[in-house]
Amino acid sequence: MTDRVVQTSKRSKQAARIADAASGGIRMILLKIVLLGIVDAIAVYALFVLALSDEWLIASLVAVVTLVVNWIYFSKRKLPAKYLTPGVLFLIVFQIFVIGYTGYIGFTNYSTGHNSDKAQAIDALMSSARERVPDSPTYKVTIVENLEGLGMLVTAPDGEVSVGSSEHPLSSVRNATMDGDKAVAVDGYTSLSFQDVLQRQGDIVGLEVPFSDDPNDGSLRTPDGSSAYVYTSSLVYDEQAGTMTDASSGTVYSDTGTGAFTSSDGEELLPGWRITVGFDNFARAFTEDSIREPLINVTIWTIVFALLSVASTFFLGLFLAIVFNDKRMKGRKFYRIAMILPYAFPAFLSALVWAGMLSESFGFVNQVLLGGASIPWLTDPFLAKVSILFVNLWLGFPYMFLVATGALQSIPDDVVEAATVDGAKPWQVFRLIKMPLLLVTMAPILISSFAFNFNNFNLIYMLTGGGPRDAAASVNVGATDILISMVYKVAFTGQLRDYGLASAFTIIIFILVATISIVSFRQTKALEELN
Amino acid sequence: MKVKTRSIITAGALAATVGLALVGCSSDNGDGGDGANNSTTALTVWVDAERVDALKDVAAAYKDKTGIEVKLVSKDTAKIKDDFLQQVPTGKGPDITMGAHDWLGELVTNGVVSPIELADKEGDFLEVAYAASTYEGKQYMLPYAVENIALLRNADLVPEAVGTFDEMIAAGTAAGVTPFVVQQGPESDPYHLYPFQTSFGAPVFSSDENGYDVSDLQIGNAGGIEYANWLAAQGAAGTINTEVTGDIAKEQFTTGQAAFWLTGPWNVGAALDAGINVAVDPIVTPGAEAAQPFAGVKGFFLSEQSKNKVAANDFLVNYLATEDVQTALFESGNVLPALASAADAASNDPIVGGFRLVGMDAVPMPASPAMGAVWQFWGIAEAAILNGADPAATWEKLAADVQGALDK
Amino acid sequence: MTTVLSRTGEPITDKRPFSFGRWFGRTGWRHIVGVAMVLFSVLPLLYVLSSSLNPSGTLTGSNALFSAVGLDAYVRLVTDPTQPFMAWFGNTLLIASITAVATVFLGALAAYSFSRMRFTGRRFGLLTIVLVQMFPQLLAVVAIFLLMSSISDWFPAIGLNTHIGLIMVYMGGALGVNTYLMYGFFNTIPQDIDEAAKIDGAGHARIFFTIILRLVAPILAVVGLLSFIGTTNEFVVASILLIDPEKQTLAVGLYKLVSNPNYADWSAFSAGAVIAALPVMALFLFLQKYIVGGLTAGAVK
Repeated sequence: MTDRVVQTSKRSKQAARIADAASGGIRMILLKIVLLGIVDAIAVYALFVLALSDEWLIASLVAVVTLVVNWIYFSKRKLPAKYLTPGVLFLIVFQIFVIGYTGYIGFTNYSTGHNSDKAQAIDALMSSARERVPDSPTYKVTIVENLEGLGMLVTAPDGEVSVGSSEHPLSSVRNATMDGDKAVAVDGYTSLSFQDVLQRQGDIVGLEVPFSDDPNDGSLRTPDGSSAYVYTSSLVYDEQAGTMTDASSGTVYSDTGTGAFTSSDGEELLPGWRITVGFDNFARAFTEDSIREPLINVTIWTIVFALLSVASTFFLGLFLAIVFNDKRMKGRKFYRIAMILPYAFPAFLSALVWAGMLSESFGFVNQVLLGGASIPWLTDPFLAKVSILFVNLWLGFPYMFLVATGALQSIPDDVVEAATVDGAKPWQVFRLIKMPLLLVTMAPILISSFAFNFNNFNLIYMLTGGGPRDAAASVNVGATDILISMVYKVAFTGQLRDYGLASAFTIIIFILVATISIVSFRQTKALEELN
Repeated sequence: MKVKTRSIITAGALAATVGLALVGCSSDNGDGGDGANNSTTALTVWVDAERVDALKDVAAAYKDKTGIEVKLVSKDTAKIKDDFLQQVPTGKGPDITMGAHDWLGELVTNGVVSPIELADKEGDFLEVAYAASTYEGKQYMLPYAVENIALLRNADLVPEAVGTFDEMIAAGTAAGVTPFVVQQGPESDPYHLYPFQTSFGAPVFSSDENGYDVSDLQIGNAGGIEYANWLAAQGAAGTINTEVTGDIAKEQFTTGQAAFWLTGPWNVGAALDAGINVAVDPIVTPGAEAAQPFAGVKGFFLSEQSKNKVAANDFLVNYLATEDVQTALFESGNVLPALASAADAASNDPIVGGFRLVGMDAVPMPASPAMGAVWQFWGIAEAAILNGADPAATWEKLAADVQGALDK
Repeated sequence: MTTVLSRTGEPITDKRPFSFGRWFGRTGWRHIVGVAMVLFSVLPLLYVLSSSLNPSGTLTGSNALFSAVGLDAYVRLVTDPTQPFMAWFGNTLLIASITAVATVFLGALAAYSFSRMRFTGRRFGLLTIVLVQMFPQLLAVVAIFLLMSSISDWFPAIGLNTHIGLIMVYMGGALGVNTYLMYGFFNTIPQDIDEAAKIDGAGHARIFFTIILRLVAPILAVVGLLSFIGTTNEFVVASILLIDPEKQTLAVGLYKLVSNPNYADWSAFSAGAVIAALPVMALFLFLQKYIVGGLTAGAVK
């Protein structure tokens, strides 16, 4: 104990020295002013830009945050906030927002066919509904303009030249200036150059010139500014009523609140648009057949997988950290760096390599290490689980090794020495002194590692794809599928993607993991004070 | 007192810093604003990483001709479709993206692609390319390349082409090597086995001149059962092995350990580089009918939300659909051009010509989102059959599962 | 256990004659563990190295490692004008370094306040930062893209296709389980050090910057390394945010080489992965002395 006191006073002296050495308060204040000044300047600039684009909500948020930040750093109190604010700001914007937004998607019908907003869906429907009149020719076109607006100067294949605009159907003109067999200018209109056309692409793509007084003849449109074609539309959009009518059958599709134009007998026109659907996705998450059947097995495996992954990587990592923490040992640098390597390579590459090495008839493990054995590492349901855990051990132990090495350093030598002087055996020292101290630092790491593995989609996806799958089962779920990979398969089958359903599942899984974690935190007392 | 002076100084200094920083910002802003007005039209085009090279020259030439800048963005092929679907509705997506025809169903259902007008050039394209780039009767894609698999033969091991599957196995065995490899995996690979399946008369969906009828599932017909039995026999004999991944097949053929390799043009380069004397043969037929591989057609899509549709249409139809450009794209990837005239010229190469010959029988891979239901069960059933499951029962279950998923 | 042995054992060993048994008992067995672990760690990576040197370009097709050796893939990688590999490399170093330093800094600030100050919401805050990171990331890109694309509308300099934007997104994860790791470590630094400094008139900021940060160097180094590795290998967010090829990172650039299975260039990808692992190794070598230098060695002794 005396030893410790001496050390402490030594430390405090040194601290005082350092404190003196660092120059006085004025420099700190200057630094603070400059930093805050920069922050404020950026904020003022941001406000200026946001105000110009009429984003008042965001602008007021920025203003409030800036004021709060200034208040925090000018106030004599708010000490914790001074240290937390920078990290928390980023956390809120880039993590909490992301969670919130994903949560919001869980309440929408965002999925294949409901990918955009209503205006875009109407545009897309109208542009797909446009049909070129069969056997109609290509018209050469020059975009012209007069006071009324844009128009088309059209040369038919037979050489007839006419002009029209969205209000005035095509009418013949004479005296047009010809360039070869294409009319390029006519009196009363200014011709647009290709560059002018490019500047006004939006207007020109939307420009529709009725072919004649009869709307059934269709209208001319030009996709590229130099050729025009006659189109009719198979759908008619009535903006007032908000309905789509099929031009040939007369079926009326209206917005019935399902996120798509729907006919009276329930037929939907796709693309539709995104709407909020309340708890529908959550209800489906519990009623979907492809989920309910394998749910229990998959959940058990997910928990087993996550637990065993954490346990195996932790014990191996800790063991290695202790083994290589002996200062007398030569070559520790070399061993350490070799053991970090699995962590330094992209995990997906490693998973693919392992998948190849574990191949039954051609893999390195069976062919070379086991001398031509034929063990179905990845195709037998049980062995595939073992392989997954083994590969995950390979991928994960360097992390635990690093973390444990760091945590070992936090154990003050004097504590250990005191115990040794009191006659404790090395194993006792480890079990009674080091381990509890290590666990304080490591417990949260273990819990979050559990959560990470709970959702370790990439490993499963790259190594086995969830397989082996039982061909006799009608659901697309394999022996090594964990919850998150099962969700992926259910929500993203083939070309049909259901982001809404996937988000709902994500939230459910999050609640599950968070609950387990909070309970574990309580159990390990990781949140209690150390001293 | 002391504190007070301090805060006054602080406040003053803060104001000064804000002022200075603002001056800096605002002058930046002014410069940016002036420049924006003079900017030329620029098209953003997403392309596969492998194709950027070929398109660079094309883009430069187009700029010289029209003054429109084409900004090429090389994208991770595996992510193009998802990114396009997500980004187009936000208005941040590209004007044009490169892609494959079997995305069409998904892209159209989501309303992110705009129809294009081929300006009466339909006939200039290979039939399969034109057919593949239409969806529900409308043209959405400007095709530039057609890919299909064919049978590669190591001509040093087997000098003559063979006609049937059994002859191929016999010839390969006689040469003293693994007779035949085809890329498989734990969940098989229906794409590579499809020509065998069709030779028994069991396509996925029935089709007519308007394309596929996705309401008429054909996979479970009598030919399908026959194919399943044949597949079980191959699995038992070891001629088709789910353990043979793409890597292993490649290794076997390029090191001369396998005589035949059913694969696509993308692997020919590796075989030639390895010094193999490669011949491209028609796909051998185990059944009575023609072996029809899937054709994959690559092309360009126009974003529905593009703000540069005139320029984009001009670039697509009046420029990319020309023989020079299609030939340039061909030279970068050695994949058969979709434009007939460029394809004819390219077919002088025996390899390309060989693939084109096989491609005459090819059918476009169905682009309907309904294919998702098929893929979900197809490979796993084939893998089970290859590994000894009862063929007829497994195949019938496959058909029933797919039908069930389609009806949902 | 280990330290104890070293303390009591060291002076004696020098004087006694060499005994294999004693050597084995002390460090010899450690070498056996070490060799076994090196084999375990490195074997799969030999595949990657072999594939990077093999011109034929399969990743796992052959069990004959190093059957063909050549530097083609490395040359191809560095010289191909369509793959600005050196730019990717530089971007990765820049982004990963800044992210690592900033993560360590923000995390240490937070850990300091959690460890040394008592305030309402402290436990809730601690729990929140670790729970937030448990959210499954499967769909996060949708939200991140949306967020960054709106930021781009107003402030293109920090939005899509900028390194600052990407680093900002990574900063969102600065407070996380790493903060916990530091928090645990901070807790083991005796409070009386702070007290003594306070008596000497040092303010909280000076105590933090000039005293505490030095004492917790091992954990700062660990967190910095973890963050550096994590950022180097991060793919999903980087691939969404960085659009221009010359702005992309190694992970994004290299994935493009193999994302099309038919045209996958495994040799070049493996070569890239090998090169990408070099800075990580260098950084680890550099940080090793801080990581295992021991708590007290840096400050008092």
